[in-house]
Amino acid sequence: MTTYNPVYALLIFVAISTVIYLIFRPVKGWFWVIKNNLSFNEKTVIEDILKQLYHFENSGKEANIKSLTGVLKFKDHLIIDVINLMTINKLIYFEGDVLRLTNTGRDYSLRIVRVHRLWEKYLAEKTGIDKAEWHDRAEFMEHKLSQEETNSLASQLGNPVYDPHGDPIPTTSGKVAKVKGVALSSLAVNSIGKITHIEDEPDVIYKQIIAENIHIGSQIRVVENSPERIIFYAEGEEFKLAPIVAANLTVAPLDKTIMVEENTIRLSSLKENETAKIVGISKESRGERRRRLLDLGFVKGTQISIDLMSPLQNPTAYLVKGTSIALRKDQASKILIKKDESHGK
Amino acid sequence: MNTTSVEKIIALSRDLRWQIGDEFHDNLAEGIYADASEIAMGSVSSDNSKKRFRLDAKIDKIVTSKAWGFPIMILILGVVLWITIIGANYPSSMLADLLLENFHPFLKGLAASIGMPWWLDGFLIDGVYLAVAWVIAVMLPPMAIFFPMFTLLEDFGYLPRVAFNLDYLFKKSGAHGKQALTMSMGFGCNAAGVVATRIIDSPRERLIAIITNNFSLCNGRWPTQILIATIFIGAVVPASISGLASLSAVISIAILGIFFMFVVSWALSKTVLKGEVSTFNLELPPYRPPRFWKTVYTSIIDRTLIVLWRAILFAAPAGAVIWLISNIYIGDLSIASWTITSLDGFGFLLGLNGVILLAYIVAIPANEIVIPTILMLTVMATGIAGGDGVGVMFELDSAGETATILKAGGWTLLTAVNLMLFSLLHNPCSTTIYTIYKETKSVKWTVFASVLPVIMGFVLTFLVAQIWRIVF
Repeated sequence: MTTYNPVYALLIFVAISTVIYLIFRPVKGWFWVIKNNLSFNEKTVIEDILKQLYHFENSGKEANIKSLTGVLKFKDHLIIDVINLMTINKLIYFEGDVLRLTNTGRDYSLRIVRVHRLWEKYLAEKTGIDKAEWHDRAEFMEHKLSQEETNSLASQLGNPVYDPHGDPIPTTSGKVAKVKGVALSSLAVNSIGKITHIEDEPDVIYKQIIAENIHIGSQIRVVENSPERIIFYAEGEEFKLAPIVAANLTVAPLDKTIMVEENTIRLSSLKENETAKIVGISKESRGERRRRLLDLGFVKGTQISIDLMSPLQNPTAYLVKGTSIALRKDQASKILIKKDESHGK
Repeated sequence: MNTTSVEKIIALSRDLRWQIGDEFHDNLAEGIYADASEIAMGSVSSDNSKKRFRLDAKIDKIVTSKAWGFPIMILILGVVLWITIIGANYPSSMLADLLLENFHPFLKGLAASIGMPWWLDGFLIDGVYLAVAWVIAVMLPPMAIFFPMFTLLEDFGYLPRVAFNLDYLFKKSGAHGKQALTMSMGFGCNAAGVVATRIIDSPRERLIAIITNNFSLCNGRWPTQILIATIFIGAVVPASISGLASLSAVISIAILGIFFMFVVSWALSKTVLKGEVSTFNLELPPYRPPRFWKTVYTSIIDRTLIVLWRAILFAAPAGAVIWLISNIYIGDLSIASWTITSLDGFGFLLGLNGVILLAYIVAIPANEIVIPTILMLTVMATGIAGGDGVGVMFELDSAGETATILKAGGWTLLTAVNLMLFSLLHNPCSTTIYTIYKETKSVKWTVFASVLPVIMGFVLTFLVAQIWRIVF
């Protein structure tokens, strides 16, 4: 130990920890980058191109090589090589400079879309992964699952029709349900509707929607629609969105003659000494969490009031069917109630 | 039916699925729940439930109030721990007197009278018996005091209120409020704390609670902390405040443990555990008078004896190993001496020494025998006088004598501080490891929970040692 010096020991330690950090840090670590690059092969590129073409086709837009290289993250020459290969294999064909899917190509792309949306559904129902991460994980898994695995996953999930964002999941035979509704940004003032779809791309806008706490399946009423902003009410709360964000929400307009539950609010906005009746549980509460709430007695028609507030204000204990059950604020925001007319006891 | 008509029916059913939409299942299930509750409301009548509820509500208003919630909680936990640590001293020393001072020489005498060979006598009596006796003497009394008190609080209905009060803090680190309870239980015994995580029904939060339970300083480690703090920390300050100084040193270590518990919970929930399902809910049951004798009985049978039995099962072979490594010679040195020499370099880097590292390896079965093992190994390695013979663990009556031996082993204030840190941050004892496996049924999480704290311990003691040597 003649060469020992605490300063050197510390420096060596710092150096080693830096290297470990650089290799294994989340997402950008060298280990993950190399692992992801190894899994990027021709198949991935082909499938991503097919999927993009399908999305272009679906939204009624036309795709050419330029628009494809714009949306895909691969190197341009790789994309062009793969497109050549795909035309030879008759997955796609050119019409002028516009790229189109052949029937084989469309079937293939529907299979990829099916895996993607099923996987998002799986993440929502069976895991605790945050919804901001669903898309990227599904992007990865869509190239991994075989057809048999996909089908067994689908039957395990009860053959769902829609993914958690409200996008339809294609069936094995390639059928796709229609998303009802129009973009929120195009709704007139005072129109009433129900959010049927929340677009998860681009990432930046989706994160804003998550941060606003907007829930799929909730009924809304537009109160202002100007080029600067769109204001609407949903579940007793007011939301202000930029039109570009609002365009990513699809709303199915409801007929005004249908009974609209206007005074439905979130349980999180109930105050002490008020009583209410439960209207239902928002579609944002999924899988195990939803079933747990039902098991505990948070069912339609149940009387509910606040029993206790924790000293730190969160969670709150609610009195349901004679039992005191504490819920956190984010859970309470997913239970819909209607306040009783006569306040207080 | 031929295949085409079967296919037609399947296709038709698929089409119908589209039409009824995806809310159908949910609506059906919720309808059933709602119907059931309506039927129950119509046919079940309840009377005088309101009256009882009012007293509950009054107690609840106080124990969850902003002003009183936290002080009451800290007071109760403090009293429980104090009674445990102080109260366990007397039965512990009685048991030690009986099992170690009287029964051990008696067994030795018996072995000698029937002419047992020295190695069998050493292996069985000095090795296996002594380790088992030690674990019983140190472990049984605190557990027999702590668990019934804890179970009484649980039975009364107070503990769910603690979880309710603290949930927000635990939520911030991705954990469940009930982890406050399993953590407190861990102050008694980590194995029991791990078993107690069954009250957390959300899979992710339960794993977090299991993995971080080891950061609660358990009963097996309190005596080590107190002894080392008394000898080394108490000695650097004026005698008038030495008691206070060593006490606050021990409490700081316990608080540091709580701090690590929060940090590690947070890190786990952000990284390796983020995929696990998380469901939160907390029932606040009505208060009820605890059934005293039943509680005491079940807590002693269910918690104390089961944990003790597991500890004995693991301590027996450990005792054998301790005796063997000190008595089997390779060349002119025992296995223990060889290991100590080879671990000394690494130990020095961590501000510890080879004896401590070896003691922590052989004492994996029970933290209770760390100090006796360290003393025995120090005497052996330094060749000073003292102790009861090679491979025979011992403890000394006075802290002063212990200090003499440890200082002869080259201990400094840094060694003491780092031992206290390492005692907090090292692998769980084998009883706890086994319990983690039983509870998680997963080798992966068991290994993870065992290795993570050792690595943290190495890093922390290393950093402290280097900075200490640079500063002083």
